[in-house]
Amino acid sequence: MRSLLNFLLRFKTLILFLVLEAVALVMISTSHNYHQTVFYGLSRNISGFVARRLERGTYYFRLRRVNEELVKENTMLRRHLEELSARPSEGFSGVHDTISGISYTYLNARVISNSVNKQKNFITLDKGSKHGVAVGMGVASPSGVVGVVVGVSSNFSVVMSLLNTDFRLSASIARNDYFGSLTWDGTNHRYARLSEIPHHVAVNEGDTIVTSGYSAIFPAGLMAGTLTGDQKRGGDFVSLKVLLSVDFKKLTDVYVIGNLKKDEREKLEEEVVK
Amino acid sequence: MNSILRYTGTFVLLVVLQLIIFNNIEFSGYVNPYVYLMFILILPVSIPSWILLLLGFLTGFVIDIFTGTMGVHTFATVIASFVRPWVLSLNVTAEAAEGDMSPSSYRSGLRWFLIYTATVVLVHHLALFFVEIFTLKHFFHTLLRVLLSTMVTTFFIVLFDFMRPHR
Repeated sequence: MRSLLNFLLRFKTLILFLVLEAVALVMISTSHNYHQTVFYGLSRNISGFVARRLERGTYYFRLRRVNEELVKENTMLRRHLEELSARPSEGFSGVHDTISGISYTYLNARVISNSVNKQKNFITLDKGSKHGVAVGMGVASPSGVVGVVVGVSSNFSVVMSLLNTDFRLSASIARNDYFGSLTWDGTNHRYARLSEIPHHVAVNEGDTIVTSGYSAIFPAGLMAGTLTGDQKRGGDFVSLKVLLSVDFKKLTDVYVIGNLKKDEREKLEEEVVK
Repeated sequence: MNSILRYTGTFVLLVVLQLIIFNNIEFSGYVNPYVYLMFILILPVSIPSWILLLLGFLTGFVIDIFTGTMGVHTFATVIASFVRPWVLSLNVTAEAAEGDMSPSSYRSGLRWFLIYTATVVLVHHLALFFVEIFTLKHFFHTLLRVLLSTMVTTFFIVLFDFMRPHR
């Protein structure tokens, strides 16, 4: 007993070191389902508060670029509006249903915390469950796909960025509709890879990559990036290097995309595919 | 008592600097200076190693909470706190060994402080970047990030050391 005590006293620093490192490792390994814990909600609210204060200060310096982007998008929307109003109304509907035909809703939000230099990057938005944001919603900026909401508190939400090695996006080549999965390899924040494209598909540098719409998160045809021409062959498939349309370093305003028919679609798919 | 207050102030200042300024520095994803480690470096020479470890844990934990990287900074900072006494004893000088002196270039010379800082920072950054990526797949890419960030972090810590008041 005495020798055991002596042993412990002699190595108390080493033992404390090992215990603390074990605690840190447990924290790291459980951080995946960490989003659910109460504690994280609390710490997110605190750090969200700090980040929002900071963001308020730095936002002014980016106003010019934000304005340019908004003007550009306004123009595009006006064009769409023009197309739609020119179209004759289709069929009758007995009740004036304002959401008939609409599948996706958009909520604008501001990025208050963001990173591009980690392997698993997350983005914090200034909108939360109070504003209707829910886990599983897609997030896009005026220039393209940004990520998916993975956690919400009442005032903030955390988005898994496309620049996260765990993120997979079902995307297709706009010109010929071949689809694959878009992932980030954790190195350069401007480039991602579109894999699982068959050998025989002819691709050109500059081809547009858009969301496929095969998952209920993003509508089909949302811009994701363009091909750079660089490709890697392996097995039956090639993987193509994609220049992302969103520059994550300059991300300020985004849209949270809600799918009104997501539950219906997923329920049907679950019932049939078993 | 006075010195505890002073160290608490330094701690808060370094954490705030880290969160507001240094977390926003990213040169093409390679350089991420983590100057909050300076807190561990300037604690008194005579501090008991178990207190040093607990303070290291606390520092890393606070940074983890604010950056949302649960455990990664805690892990790296505890390792840094563990090797600090060892690095101190490796290139100790007569002046630095004195009682509750805080290690600084003012007391022990720039060369000594530079080597001491760079060694602890390197250990911290190696642990940090490799635990964060958690694979050896991009080994040399990660190593390059570690080395570049170590240089920049060391530079800023030595710079801040010059600004410290010496009595």
